[in-house]
Amino acid sequence: MKSSRSYPYWFILPGGLVYLVLFLVPTVAAFWFSLTHWDLFETRFIGLENYYQFLREPFLITGVVNTVIFGVLTSIAKSVLGLLLAVLLTSGLLGQSFLRTLIFFPVLVSTIGVGIAFAEIMHPARGMLNIGLSYFGIQGPAWLIDPNLALFSVALVDIWKGVGLATLIYIAGLATISSDYYEAARIDGATKLQMFFRITVPLVRPATVTVVTLSLIGGLRSFDIIWAMTKGGPGFSSDVLASVIYKQYQAGFYGLSTAGNIILFALVAFIVIPLTYWFNRREVDL
Amino acid sequence: MATVRLKNIHKEFNGVKILKGIDLDVNDGEFCVFVGPSGCGKSTLLRIISGLEDATSGTIEIGEKDVTKSDPIDRGIAMVFQSYALYPHLTVRDNIGFGLSLAKRPKSEIKERVNAAAEMLQLESLLDRKPKDLSGGQRQRVAIGRAIVREPEVFLFDEPLSNLDAALRSKMRIELTELHATLNATMIYVTHDQIEAMTMADKIVVLNAGHIEQVGTPMELYHHPQTPFVAGFIGSPKMNLFEGAIAKEHNADLYGIRPEHLTLSPKEGKWKGVVKHIEQLGADAIVHIHVESLGMLVARADGDFSITAGSTIYATPQEGKEHLF
Amino acid sequence: MKRQQIINGVIALVIGVLIFVTPFIFIGLTAVKSAAEASQLGLSWPSEWLFWDNLVAVIQARNYMLLLAYFNSTVITVGAISLLVISAAMIGYVIQRRPSKWNGFIYALILAGLMIPPAVVPTIWLLKELHLFKTLHGMILIQVAYGLSFSVLLFRSFIASIPRDLDEAAIIDGAKPWQVFFKVILPLLKPVTVTVILVQSVTIFNDFTNPLYYLPGKDNVTVQLTLYNFQSQFSSQMNLLFMNILLVTIPPLIMFIFFNKQIVKGMTAGAVKG
Repeated sequence: MKSSRSYPYWFILPGGLVYLVLFLVPTVAAFWFSLTHWDLFETRFIGLENYYQFLREPFLITGVVNTVIFGVLTSIAKSVLGLLLAVLLTSGLLGQSFLRTLIFFPVLVSTIGVGIAFAEIMHPARGMLNIGLSYFGIQGPAWLIDPNLALFSVALVDIWKGVGLATLIYIAGLATISSDYYEAARIDGATKLQMFFRITVPLVRPATVTVVTLSLIGGLRSFDIIWAMTKGGPGFSSDVLASVIYKQYQAGFYGLSTAGNIILFALVAFIVIPLTYWFNRREVDL
Repeated sequence: MATVRLKNIHKEFNGVKILKGIDLDVNDGEFCVFVGPSGCGKSTLLRIISGLEDATSGTIEIGEKDVTKSDPIDRGIAMVFQSYALYPHLTVRDNIGFGLSLAKRPKSEIKERVNAAAEMLQLESLLDRKPKDLSGGQRQRVAIGRAIVREPEVFLFDEPLSNLDAALRSKMRIELTELHATLNATMIYVTHDQIEAMTMADKIVVLNAGHIEQVGTPMELYHHPQTPFVAGFIGSPKMNLFEGAIAKEHNADLYGIRPEHLTLSPKEGKWKGVVKHIEQLGADAIVHIHVESLGMLVARADGDFSITAGSTIYATPQEGKEHLF
Repeated sequence: MKRQQIINGVIALVIGVLIFVTPFIFIGLTAVKSAAEASQLGLSWPSEWLFWDNLVAVIQARNYMLLLAYFNSTVITVGAISLLVISAAMIGYVIQRRPSKWNGFIYALILAGLMIPPAVVPTIWLLKELHLFKTLHGMILIQVAYGLSFSVLLFRSFIASIPRDLDEAAIIDGAKPWQVFFKVILPLLKPVTVTVILVQSVTIFNDFTNPLYYLPGKDNVTVQLTLYNFQSQFSSQMNLLFMNILLVTIPPLIMFIFFNKQIVKGMTAGAVKG
């Protein structure tokens, strides 16, 4: 093959160089800096001290736990709701294309804007949400004020904002399933529910893989929405790794902040890589 | 105009030997067809001549010049692809003139040469269209126009007719033959279709599993196939080939007789058999006969020859038309 | 359409509007209220329609910071996307067309870019060393680095659908490698280029985290950062804060109205193949 001459590797250079210098080098350098006490000018090697600190300080541990909760919760919710909405919005419902558009729009809106607006909507006394609930005789909780609830309230908004993308991915996935399967199943006497669990769910798997992986990666790395709504509060109750990294950076603990980065990286890798591996292995069985 | 000389061309890809020592001379002005089953290496050989691929070893000369290491543009060749490979975003005019404009020829010259090529191929009225607005036959012409306008010494065709329907294909066969007569250029043409090879070629090169089986004019290959492969490949329906007693009788390993060289008779003949199946083609009928001592035998009979499946029939090979290997 | 479907449709529409539209109505109404009314946080109709006053007040705030922010965000978005499209298309082209033993490694690097959270403090350190920290062109290069993986994957899968015969025809016609790419391949990438431009411009325009880290300071403020800055300043003037949210929402809204289909196509790309 003459591909060496026709498709020269220097084509990779412009983008590759930017990627190498501004993404790969800092990522690799982070491993070293996470082992140091660092003020951007001087580094002092302190071994695993930063990591020990992460395991010792309760608020740092909270950050790790919250990251997992937030990522897993939003990812599951988006895929389940996304699939149900996708099925609903491909069933020939009145106004379904309008509804698709409606659900998708928040995906494109600034996360910070959404976060600020929902912080007010979730105001315990005057917020629209609790006023709305009171019409149904429900006493709404103190969404963002309650330390036990704050993280979940933020997750709710993240799901609201992101479910549209999941829905559209599922709609694209559903479009690839031939209607022959459903007709064959109907002849075999399957009920709607049986068709959903025995045909739709298994055959829409590639879309599920995409939705789960994308929202998990996004969820574990979430920062904007949390920062706009609670800044990790009350206390440290809704802190996630990404907000801890920012706080430690602001406080000047650069080594500690970078250790947080490495832990986040490890967390994403340890959750997402085995998951995709498992997804891909199952695919062979099908 | 130029000769093409291949010397001991070998090609290996990922350890697989695709071409195993090809030696070949294509003479100036000759229409040479590479024919063979898929995977025989004919397309690879063409691509090596074009310079799109490098040979693992061996040399290529075009017009007495060693071009083994040259880029395609320096070889004086033009190529017509199976898919036509027209640039979808360019008009017919720009497709044909693309190479000239890359070569920075003056605008007036490009225009003149594109118009001349278009005229030769009756494309004048289509010059401002995009490829997607053309029929298959028109696209084929544009692809040829793109080759002609370069005024190459050698034209290379890679199965150019295989995407056309049967009627258009036979029309294009004639047009290509006429084009060859007009331009009098060296042409190398790859196909898996032995009818294209027989009807168009001055010289046929039969390739099989990476080597040349035989080189000759169409009628040489038909009358004097040197290997069983060529015997089976050229001619349709295929030549009947038998091992065993009948071959031994002639002191050979293999005995061959073409279906059209068998005389059929309801009463008498060399081989007695039962008609199993008849393919009626109108002018001809292809008769499949089961002969006890041979197995299945295929014969070509006149379309009017009256015969029914299940009846007994006698077949006799014509004198001097038998092939021994 | 069956009766049942119509009824279900109406119910779904009502619920959908309630959940997905009311927040935007809330933003819109609050943005045109007076400060006192806005602090009530209700969905009530504004007694005074102060759209113009609030708009002017937000734009004039902090010495026309919002205009500067729009300018900066536009420069970053346009600059980053121009570089992204060319460089990602070139990379996608070579790795799709040229299979080699390096491909697995290159592919792993691309996936790493989709997955790994950027190491922010080391990046700041590096930007400082390169004198790119707190500069718009530094921010542009950061956005290129972070958006490259996604764009390369989109280009690569599109290029796979362009027959290699076209490259070879161009080579036979005497095109140099860069001519094959720029004269034959690049013009054919228009549909996927539109997708990349749309998806990345929404992403980059809405990006908050990266400007927060790499573009601190008043001079380099981006649109998303103004929201964050105004959040503390306007805590007693909810109307102005929400006017700002409204203004920030307009560019994606315009994109959405005109290019909904292409955006959806881009964002769901690959879902089918998995």
